[in-house]
Amino acid sequence: METAFYLSGLVAILATLRVITHTNPVHALLYLIVSLISVAMVFFALGAPFAGALEIIVYAGAIMVLFVFVVMMLNLGGAAVAQERTWLRPSTWLGPALLALLLLGVLAFDLWRSDGGRTIAGELLTAKAVGMTLFGPWLIAVELAALLLLAALVTASHVGRLASRAGAGTTPGEERS
Amino acid sequence: MTPAALLALSPLAIVAATILGVLLGIAWRRQHAATAVVTGVGLGLALSVLPLAWRMAPLATPLLVVDGLALFAMALILVAALACTTLGHAYLEHYRGAREEFYLLLLSAAAGAMVLAMSRHLASLFLGLELLSMPLYGMLAYAYHERRSLEAGIKYLLLSAAASAFLLFGMALLYAQTGQLDLAALTAGLAGRPGGWGLAGAGLMLVGLGFKLSVVPFHLWTPDVYEGGPGPAATFLATASKVAVFVVVLRLVTTAPAFQAEAMGAILAALALASMLVGNLLALRQANLKRLLGYSSIAHFGYLMLVLVVAGDLAVESGGVYLVTYLVTTLSAFGVVTLLSSPHGGEDAAALHHYRGLFWRHPYLAGVLTVSLLSLAGIPFTAGFIGKFYLLALGVEAQRWWLVAGIVLGSAIGLYYYLRVMVTLYLVEPGMRRRDVAVDWGGRAGGVVVAGLALVTILLGVYPAPMIAWVRELSVLAGG
Repeated sequence: METAFYLSGLVAILATLRVITHTNPVHALLYLIVSLISVAMVFFALGAPFAGALEIIVYAGAIMVLFVFVVMMLNLGGAAVAQERTWLRPSTWLGPALLALLLLGVLAFDLWRSDGGRTIAGELLTAKAVGMTLFGPWLIAVELAALLLLAALVTASHVGRLASRAGAGTTPGEERS
Repeated sequence: MTPAALLALSPLAIVAATILGVLLGIAWRRQHAATAVVTGVGLGLALSVLPLAWRMAPLATPLLVVDGLALFAMALILVAALACTTLGHAYLEHYRGAREEFYLLLLSAAAGAMVLAMSRHLASLFLGLELLSMPLYGMLAYAYHERRSLEAGIKYLLLSAAASAFLLFGMALLYAQTGQLDLAALTAGLAGRPGGWGLAGAGLMLVGLGFKLSVVPFHLWTPDVYEGGPGPAATFLATASKVAVFVVVLRLVTTAPAFQAEAMGAILAALALASMLVGNLLALRQANLKRLLGYSSIAHFGYLMLVLVVAGDLAVESGGVYLVTYLVTTLSAFGVVTLLSSPHGGEDAAALHHYRGLFWRHPYLAGVLTVSLLSLAGIPFTAGFIGKFYLLALGVEAQRWWLVAGIVLGSAIGLYYYLRVMVTLYLVEPGMRRRDVAVDWGGRAGGVVVAGLALVTILLGVYPAPMIAWVRELSVLAGG
C-alpha cells in the first residue's frame, strides 16, 4: 500500500505541475482530472475511503466535467495558447507561490515534530454522523433542498431563454427541450 | 416517520407531488390549460386534506410542527395559490413564449410558504423562506422581455439575498449563544436573560424577516417590485408570501423570549408606527394602482405589527382575523388589475388613467374593485372593517395609545387615496383610454374568482361570526 501512496502522490504532483505549465486549457484541465483522481488514490491508500469517493464523485466527476465542457464550448484556439504563454511570467506566479510555500512550511513543521494528537479540540464529525442526521430526522430538509434546487433551475432556464425566441412568435411546443 | 406524521404533512406532500407532476407534464407535452388544471387540482386536494391534518394536530416532527397556526396559514396560502393559478391562466392566455413554467414556480413557492408556516427549527425556517423566494424571482421576472418585469425580478433577487444574509447572521448569533437551532430549545436556552448576542441575533433576524414583510425601514423594494412584476406574481407576493412570513414572525415572537425583551417590544412598536404613517403618506400621491396597493400593503402590515407588540392569546386571534380579511381583499384588488392587464400589450395596465370610467365599460369589474378598495379602507359592512375593529380593540385593551392613534390616523389618510381611486372608476371622459379585458370575463375562471372574492369580502363584513369562530378554534391550538 505504501508504494501505491507514493506513486499516486508523485502522479498528483507531476499532473498538477502540467496543469500550471500547459498552455492549452483543455489539456491542462485533463491533467487536473488526473491530478484529482490521484489525490483520491492517496486518500484510499491512507484509509479514508469516504473522502476518496467524495473526491472522485464531486471534483473529478461533476465539477471537472463541467469545466471541460464549458472550456470546450468557449472553443479557445491558438490565440489563447499564445496569451497563456505570455502570462506565465514570474511576476504573475510569484505571489501565490510564496503563499503556498508558507503553507508548505507549516505542514513540514507540523510533520517534523509530529507527536500526534495535537488537533483542535472538538467532536470528530464523521461522514456517518452527517449521513445519519441528514437522512434520519432531517430527511425533509434534504427533500426541501432538492425542491429549492429544482425551482432555481426552472427559474434560470426560463429567464435564460433567448429573448428572440420567446418574444417573436414561437408556438408553444416548439420550445420543448 | 410515523403514519400520523405522514398524514399531518400530507398537504405539503401533495403540493410537492403536484410540482413533480407538472414538471413531467411539461417535459412530455406543453399544454397550458391542462397544466393549470393539474395545478388547481393539486392545490385543491391539498386544501381538502387539511381537515385530516387537523385531526392529527398538534404534532411535531424534528423540523416541522403541525398546529392550529400552521394549519390556518396553510389554508390561507393554498387559497391564495389557487386564486393566483386561475388569475395566472387568464393572464398568460395571450403570453407568447413558455407559459407552463409559471405554474411550476407558483407551486414551489406555495410549498415554501407552507414549510415556513410549519417551521419549528431555524433550518426549516431558512429552507422554507428560500423555497418561497427563489421561485418568486422567476415569477416576477417571468415576462423578462419587459424591462420592468426583469427589473422587478433582479431587484427582488438582490435585496432578498441581502436580507437572507442578515437572517443567517442573526441565526448564527443565536446559535453562538445557545448552541441550539430548535425553536423550543432556543427558548429554553434564552430563558431568563436573553443576553447581548441573543438580542443582537434576534434583531438581525427581524431585519431579514422585516424585509420580506416590507416593514418601513426595509420597504424600499416594494412599490417597484409590485409595479414591475406580472399581475399573478405580484398577487402571490402580496398575499401568500406575506401571510407565511408574518405567521413565522408571530411564532417567533410568541415562543422565543429574546423577542419579548423590553427593547425588542419598543423597536417593534416603532417599526409598526413608522410603517403605518410612511406607507399611507407615500401612497397619497401615487398615479399607479399597483404602486398604490404596494404602499397600502406596507401600511397594513404596520397595523398588523400591533399583534406582535401585544403578543397574547387575543393578539393571535385578531392577527388571524386581520390576515383573513387582508388576504381576501388584496386578492380581489390585485385580481382586477391582473384581469385588466395583458402581457402582450406591454406593461400591466396599472396606471390610474386606465381605470378612468371603468364602471361604464365593465360595471362588474369596477364593482369588485370598489368593494375591495372599501374593504382596504376599512368601511363598515366589508371584511376590512372587522379586521381593523379587532386591531383597535386589541390596542385599546393593551393600552398602546400611540399605536391606536397611528391606526386611526393611517386609516383616515388611507380613506382619502382609496376614495380617489374609486372616484376615478366612475368618471366619464370623452376619448378615454381603452384597455379592455376579454368580453366574456365573467365566464372565465379568473373573473369568477374575482367576483367570488368580492362576495366573500362583503359576506365577512356582514356576517363575520363563522370566520371568527374558526380562527378562535385554530388559535387555541397555536401554543401546542
